[in-house]
Amino acid sequence: MSAFMGWTEAPGQIAGRPLEEWNTAYAKVEGYFHALRVRNKVLLGQLVQRVLGRAMKRAPAEPERSATELAAEELDRILTEWFAEVLETAPTGVEHLLSTRGRLALLLADMPGKWQDQFLRPGPWPEEFVTAMRESYLHAGPDFQLSQMTPRPLDLGPITALVNFSRLPFRKMSFIWVAFALVLIGIFVLTHLHY
Amino acid sequence: MSAVAAQPVSAPAPQPVLTVCPVPRTRRGWRLFGFFSFSVLLTGLVSMLFADLLWRTGWSTSRTLLLVLFAVLFFLAAVGFMTALYGFVLRHTRDRRRITCMANYRDRSIAATSTALVFPIYNENVLRVYEGLRATYESLRQTGELERFDFFILSDSTSPDHWVEEERRWFELIRELKALGRIYYRRRVFNEGKKSGNVRDFLNNWGRRYRYFMVLDADSVMRGETVVNLVKLMEANPGAGMIQTVPALVNAESLFGRMQQFANRLYAPLFLTGLNYWAQNCGNYWGHNAIIRTEPFMQCCDLPQLPGRKPFGGHILSHDFVEAALLLRENWQVWFAHDLDGSYEESPQALIESAQRDRRWCQGNLQHSLLAFAKGFRGVSRIHLLLGIFCYLSGPLWLLFLLTFQWIRWYQGYTGLSDITVRAWTPYLDLTGTQHALLIFVLCMIVLLLPKTLALLDLAFDAPRRRAFGGWWRTAAGALAETVFSTLHAPLLMLWHSQFVSAILLGVGVHWGTQQRRADGTAWAYAFKRHWGHTVIGLVWGALVWRLDAAMFWWFSPVLGGMVLSIPLSVWSSRSSLGALARRFGLFLTPEETSPPPELVCLRERLAHTSPATGQQQVFTDVGLAEVVLDPYVNAVHVTLLREKKLNLTYAKSLARLGVGRKEVRELGEKLLTVGPNALTAEQKLLVLNDGDAISWLHRAVWLRPDSSLAVWWQEAMHRFGCQQPV
Repeated sequence: MSAFMGWTEAPGQIAGRPLEEWNTAYAKVEGYFHALRVRNKVLLGQLVQRVLGRAMKRAPAEPERSATELAAEELDRILTEWFAEVLETAPTGVEHLLSTRGRLALLLADMPGKWQDQFLRPGPWPEEFVTAMRESYLHAGPDFQLSQMTPRPLDLGPITALVNFSRLPFRKMSFIWVAFALVLIGIFVLTHLHY
Repeated sequence: MSAVAAQPVSAPAPQPVLTVCPVPRTRRGWRLFGFFSFSVLLTGLVSMLFADLLWRTGWSTSRTLLLVLFAVLFFLAAVGFMTALYGFVLRHTRDRRRITCMANYRDRSIAATSTALVFPIYNENVLRVYEGLRATYESLRQTGELERFDFFILSDSTSPDHWVEEERRWFELIRELKALGRIYYRRRVFNEGKKSGNVRDFLNNWGRRYRYFMVLDADSVMRGETVVNLVKLMEANPGAGMIQTVPALVNAESLFGRMQQFANRLYAPLFLTGLNYWAQNCGNYWGHNAIIRTEPFMQCCDLPQLPGRKPFGGHILSHDFVEAALLLRENWQVWFAHDLDGSYEESPQALIESAQRDRRWCQGNLQHSLLAFAKGFRGVSRIHLLLGIFCYLSGPLWLLFLLTFQWIRWYQGYTGLSDITVRAWTPYLDLTGTQHALLIFVLCMIVLLLPKTLALLDLAFDAPRRRAFGGWWRTAAGALAETVFSTLHAPLLMLWHSQFVSAILLGVGVHWGTQQRRADGTAWAYAFKRHWGHTVIGLVWGALVWRLDAAMFWWFSPVLGGMVLSIPLSVWSSRSSLGALARRFGLFLTPEETSPPPELVCLRERLAHTSPATGQQQVFTDVGLAEVVLDPYVNAVHVTLLREKKLNLTYAKSLARLGVGRKEVRELGEKLLTVGPNALTAEQKLLVLNDGDAISWLHRAVWLRPDSSLAVWWQEAMHRFGCQQPV
């Protein structure tokens, strides 16, 4: 909390912003860590504090930005930098690629279960953790071995003629006439057979 | 470096060279000829007797029609009767012409084989599918042969919620089972060709890696030992292109479901033994729980588009029969492994669900009429196709038979013609008209009911099986109750199938919908909506018959009773409580209920622990979308899978065709953030979900932006998923 207190310059304010604004920023940052399954409250508190500390440093220089925006940006930056360091990948400018890979690595290395204490901590990290992070690949399928199935010709036999019949012009009209004639024949036969 | 294993992208390779050869066609004519000749003989004799009865009251055109309908319907019943009779005799004479007796397969090594177990799914209950897969996987692990098998979940799901849940649960599954690189997940961008297209897509991408593949349904479970035995059977029979197991119906809870699975378990062994007698190595494929030799399937079984327009033309819906026929055309063998246990599936839990499934199958089977006379098909394939067609045509034919009979009776009364019988064969038979009619009725009943009696007799001779069914007397009581129910159910099937066939012939297509397979039970209002027509037909028809001839009314009462009672029948038979009550009385017990196999125990226990409790179901809309955008891990898995998809040229083209990568997608994403998912159509949501960059960007944006610039829906979603504490 001392880190927070350092920026208090007026009652009800921290780093030039109302307390309520920082409260909202705190909730957002904490929410993201929750989403990353950081469940240990001590670690969680330390991490949020670290992010907000960096945001508070920026706050006086960027009065047009809300505390939440600053905190979220700092959170993203801290994560990306840490991923780059752990995975030994230089930030490319396409930050979402690194972020995606980093999050996937956290999941595959089981950070929430085994390595919460290492999360966002500066190196050196345990060898096992580093290996688990760096060698995590997600195989949704084995290597492709492409081929192309193609249907063999199939002669439908006498049915082909019937199918072609349906393509005749005026087929609907012809069909109705034939059906009508059959109905007439049927009625005639049924009504005259016994006489 | 990407988190996706880099994979080479190559153009389609030329057709693989077949490493095994089919055996030449053999003559099995006598079996087929003998079997169907007996059916024809029986039909001929009884039809002659029926013709004589008609002749006694004076011949007419309507009587000719009645006779023809009788002959067709009786022949279908006679085929069933003969199948059961042959089955009964063969089960007691130890027929060895079975795939499991053809070669010593048990000592075969499968070390050099590779088999893929594929699960094509389409908006299914994800939990149930995955737990079924897990049960099969665990069972296979216990055989010690797991490394010869890969599992593929082949999704065609179009619902974003299903899609995201499938990915999330897939990851959980592979982590729990430590099966990364063993259980794979793939979702197609477009579900062209439906289920058969889904499997074909798998074969085009990975088929050449596997000597065999097995298709399992969303509700399939297979014992590991059975899976291994199927591979051994294929190895021992190099001419076999496909071996179809006979899945036992399991896990039913409703009364209807339990009766169906009881009938399946009690009668199927007889029918399948009889079927195997005449089909032999020209069996059939039922679409799942079968092992298939990959190379010949890939070379012979790509389905052509049928000429003409829907409902008959276009894509082949019931692909399984046709694929078996195509394999047989190229001299590959198709066998039923009817005596191999450990193959399971589930069935609909209510009458209406069962009819919904029939509606889909009906169109597919009727479409086979275009293929039944295709050149090059084996005669047996034509029989399989025709029997499948008549499964559904028999309903309208029976209705026509009853209506023609009513017409004749009405006409007789209307014209005032007397019922005085004339001489025909009567001097030889020495029967009155009533006795004559009664004799035909009794013969029909024998043909219809003897298979059930034979099944009970078969059980009486088999002590272990008898115990597995809970004892002979209980089984007999169950068979009696099931017969009463199926008597009342039959007229409903008749009306439904008549309706389906008429709708299809009039060109009304069928929606490829998801089947509801839970045992929740049918609501009265829904049953009324679906059955009021049946009730009205039953009442009106009954009144007319009563007015026409009160004595005849009682003969028609089972048919009319089924229609009139359709609503309560449908509701009560769908109740799980009644299913449980019947079980307490020892009715409709099956071997899987009295002594559940480990794989089913595993499935039930897992489902009991992991299914959301009633009332705790998600009511929040667009759960999948919220999860994939908000959850850092679900997002990472989703985006990674999309990136991997781009490594495949075909998928990359599909994504481009969909519009992935265009700036409109980012605009849709912006709309999603500021207005919420309600602002997007279902197609637009799918488009956004297919765009990995957009989903990645959305994840960052939703967390970077202040809540005030997000739609209220996102704030609710954050609270709901525990991502944000209330401020």
